[in-house]
Amino acid sequence: MSPDRLGAAAQTRGLGHGVPVGRARARRVRSPGGTEERVELAELGERVPGEAGTGRVPSAPGGTGQGGRPEAGSPAVSGWGAPARYEARSVTKSFNGAIVLDDVSVTLEPHEVHTLVGENGAGKSTLFKILSGLYTPDSGRLELGGETLGDLTPRSALGLGIYLVPQEPKLMAHLSAAENLYVGILPRRRVRLLVNWRQVHREAATYFERVGLQIDPATPAREMSIAQQQLLECARALVHRCRVILFDEPTSPLTTHETEILFGLMRQLRDAGLAIGFISHRLDEVLEVSDRVEVLRDGRLVASLRRGEATRDGLVSAMIGREIGVRTRVRRTSDVTERREVLRVESLTSEPIFRDVSFALESHEVVGVAGLVGSGRTEIAEAIFGLRAADSGRVAIDGRVLERRSPRACIEAGLVYLPEDRARHGIFSEVEITRNVTAGTIPRLPRRWGLIRQREEQELAAASAARTSVRMQSLEVAIATLSGGNQQRAMFSRWLLAEPRVAILDEPTRGVDIGAKDDIYDIISDLAASGLACLIISSELEELCLTCDRVLVVYEGAIVGELRGEEITAARLGELVVGGSSS
Amino acid sequence: MAALLSAPPAQRRSRTATSSERRRDRIWVMALAVVLGVEILYFSIAVSGFFGGGSGLLSLTEQFLDVGVIALGEAAVILAGEIDLSAGTMSSLSGITMAVLWRQGMEIWVAVLVALAISGAIGLLNGLIITVFKVDSLLVTLASQFILGAVATALGGGSPPYGFPGSFVSIAGTGTVGPVPDQLIVFAVLAAGVAIAIGRTRMGRSLALIGYNRPAARWSGIRVDRTVVGAFVASAFMAGISGILVSGLYNAARNDIGDSLLLPAITVVVLGGVDIFGGRGRISGVIIATFVLGFLTEGMLVAGDSSLSATMVTGILLIVCLVFKIGLERRGGSDVLGAVRRRAERLRHLGPGAGAPPAVGDELP
Repeated sequence: MSPDRLGAAAQTRGLGHGVPVGRARARRVRSPGGTEERVELAELGERVPGEAGTGRVPSAPGGTGQGGRPEAGSPAVSGWGAPARYEARSVTKSFNGAIVLDDVSVTLEPHEVHTLVGENGAGKSTLFKILSGLYTPDSGRLELGGETLGDLTPRSALGLGIYLVPQEPKLMAHLSAAENLYVGILPRRRVRLLVNWRQVHREAATYFERVGLQIDPATPAREMSIAQQQLLECARALVHRCRVILFDEPTSPLTTHETEILFGLMRQLRDAGLAIGFISHRLDEVLEVSDRVEVLRDGRLVASLRRGEATRDGLVSAMIGREIGVRTRVRRTSDVTERREVLRVESLTSEPIFRDVSFALESHEVVGVAGLVGSGRTEIAEAIFGLRAADSGRVAIDGRVLERRSPRACIEAGLVYLPEDRARHGIFSEVEITRNVTAGTIPRLPRRWGLIRQREEQELAAASAARTSVRMQSLEVAIATLSGGNQQRAMFSRWLLAEPRVAILDEPTRGVDIGAKDDIYDIISDLAASGLACLIISSELEELCLTCDRVLVVYEGAIVGELRGEEITAARLGELVVGGSSS
Repeated sequence: MAALLSAPPAQRRSRTATSSERRRDRIWVMALAVVLGVEILYFSIAVSGFFGGGSGLLSLTEQFLDVGVIALGEAAVILAGEIDLSAGTMSSLSGITMAVLWRQGMEIWVAVLVALAISGAIGLLNGLIITVFKVDSLLVTLASQFILGAVATALGGGSPPYGFPGSFVSIAGTGTVGPVPDQLIVFAVLAAGVAIAIGRTRMGRSLALIGYNRPAARWSGIRVDRTVVGAFVASAFMAGISGILVSGLYNAARNDIGDSLLLPAITVVVLGGVDIFGGRGRISGVIIATFVLGFLTEGMLVAGDSSLSATMVTGILLIVCLVFKIGLERRGGSDVLGAVRRRAERLRHLGPGAGAPPAVGDELP
């Protein structure tokens, strides 16, 4: 069937109107074997809410012949792309003898957002990887629309309409948004070697519009924010006409505002009949968006709750297997009498990212910085720490102005910085814990004749790791073997060795599970109690409410508000970070 | 946990549960030592004239220690995740500078010191250009390789100086202490110095961390630029020493062999188990690899093979070793079979339609 005829067919179905949503087009897709080509009709408007009841437009006759794949032609999937239930039955998976998933059964229903919660290492991501064909289960089976799937590979999963949006979107950094959207399936002109870039960009733009991604299709992926990259992944799922989309912890790098956009899209896809899988550590958003919540603990399914049945406390106790009291915020401001200023930042400016930033921190104080990703909050911290050149402004630590700021000089003066991106800027993943812990204070390590005394170094590292309760087999294993929470504790112990006066903590609980999160709050509050001034940068407004005595709000590179004590509520912060008035 | 750490049982366990990375590095060094033993044994039995007793064997080392000395400096640079391509011609320039100064009437040992100082200064310049202007070290040192080579040729002229004083030739060149050649003693001292410097000084510690994860090193307050410059100074300095040793060995300044020293030196570093992308590696491996490669080349030459076939065997050895090493210690891998399996799995995941291709996206800022 020629593309022309397909176009005509689309017209007769009345889908040719209303550019861009109703545009129909033909594209050629290589079947997995690469031997035959199927021509399929992609209807951009097919999953708009309201059309969901009619299901998806069956593809052209050639479309169901999927080159010898087990599902080809079977009745259950002949309406290719129709809403289907996706089930994992008694799935078990172990790595190197450690059981990660133990007899787990889950069902993803169409028209539902299905959420998995659990601590780090509970097996959530592993389950999603099995569902998307990245891992093969040791036992158990997968069923899509009642049909048992054979060996699922990422490729065949995609063919069946199952898409995994990974934790960190993996786009090709140097390709444009549009090229990333169509990786492997670039629509071509009738002369098949050539790509019709105008058409590609036009169609990409319509997909981007559907997922709420406001971006020029020609933008290279490396210039896109994480939120934008995730939306692009969603658009890819649409391009592939997926009916099951799995989101592996998509919201952890997103701000509240970006999260809302993503949730809007997830609901829209759900209403269109897709089965949505979702993993998150943030229970409030889990409760907000989920139709069903299942709790994994140590590789087993321990609870399955429908919307309405699930409560925050219930989930938490199911996740950690014990009851925990709701954490209340700690306010130290009033208790401490003896306080002095330890950090002063004056009119720090680095155009065009931020300007005229001034604030001060006192000892014993925990101050938050709230702001959207891109508001300049991390950049301000980096400029203070000497990682980024500032146009003007001064930074004083303990009353002494640092003339030439560099990380080394800041550490010597008593300022440390816990980076946001632990894997890139924090840990040396293949290096032993000892050397990771002492990496920030190499010049101060005990030496004799200029040589580092390794035994004493190890004792120092052990003592510091003990202060933050790093859980580990030994100090001599690579830090990558630790869980996220323990890596973060090791980072805290690194900076404890520097005996800091001020600590800038950038997303201190990113990639850390709930139980460990509380421990990190405890560490922070202990440190503050011992006199350290902490500046916490966080996307999680709740976290700021919980830990901070004061919160500075950054919007488009300027401090636009400050909340104190009882004024600090998630609602107020949420308003301010998007530029709302502070009145 | 605090109790766990301070209690003796935990301490004892920490000694056995060393990181698998370290264990694999140790295995690699031991494997190299075994290869060295087998190699010497083979040549001694199969090639007549190779085994001239213990002292004969030791005197053979004079033929390749110049490569080893360059490799020691190059190892520092590679550990930091950079590369120094100028080390070969640096060696030539140092020898020529020393010889020319001596012919001009300078005391020979003063000339040696001046030549070494100039070497260090050139390394400093290399390092500064790389760190200040953020140019890739591969390109900067490629350029300086040409410049240094040209200057060495010009300084040496048609007939480079030869016939140095006997005291110099005996100490820097062909002299021996008992059966042990002076050059081997010099190499041993330098090797021990570099090994200790890398393992136990602030600079060495920083160097490896920079190689593992440069942004994290910067974020941790390590003076990245300064340390990298230091590595280039060390490399140029070692190359300078190598140039002096070459002059002593041949009793003549040579401006023609610098180029032929560089690639063997890099080969030795990589063969010694240093990750070409920085971070991992042990100087002990580099030291043993010097002898593995050196005896291999000398053995083949003694056996009458042409130096071309010796070079070819070097290449084959390097590839075989690296393939084996990747199996043994690919990052995150714990065993050879596991690495192969993972590789196969990754291949299976590849393919345009199969979700986002891995790895490439890692480059995203």
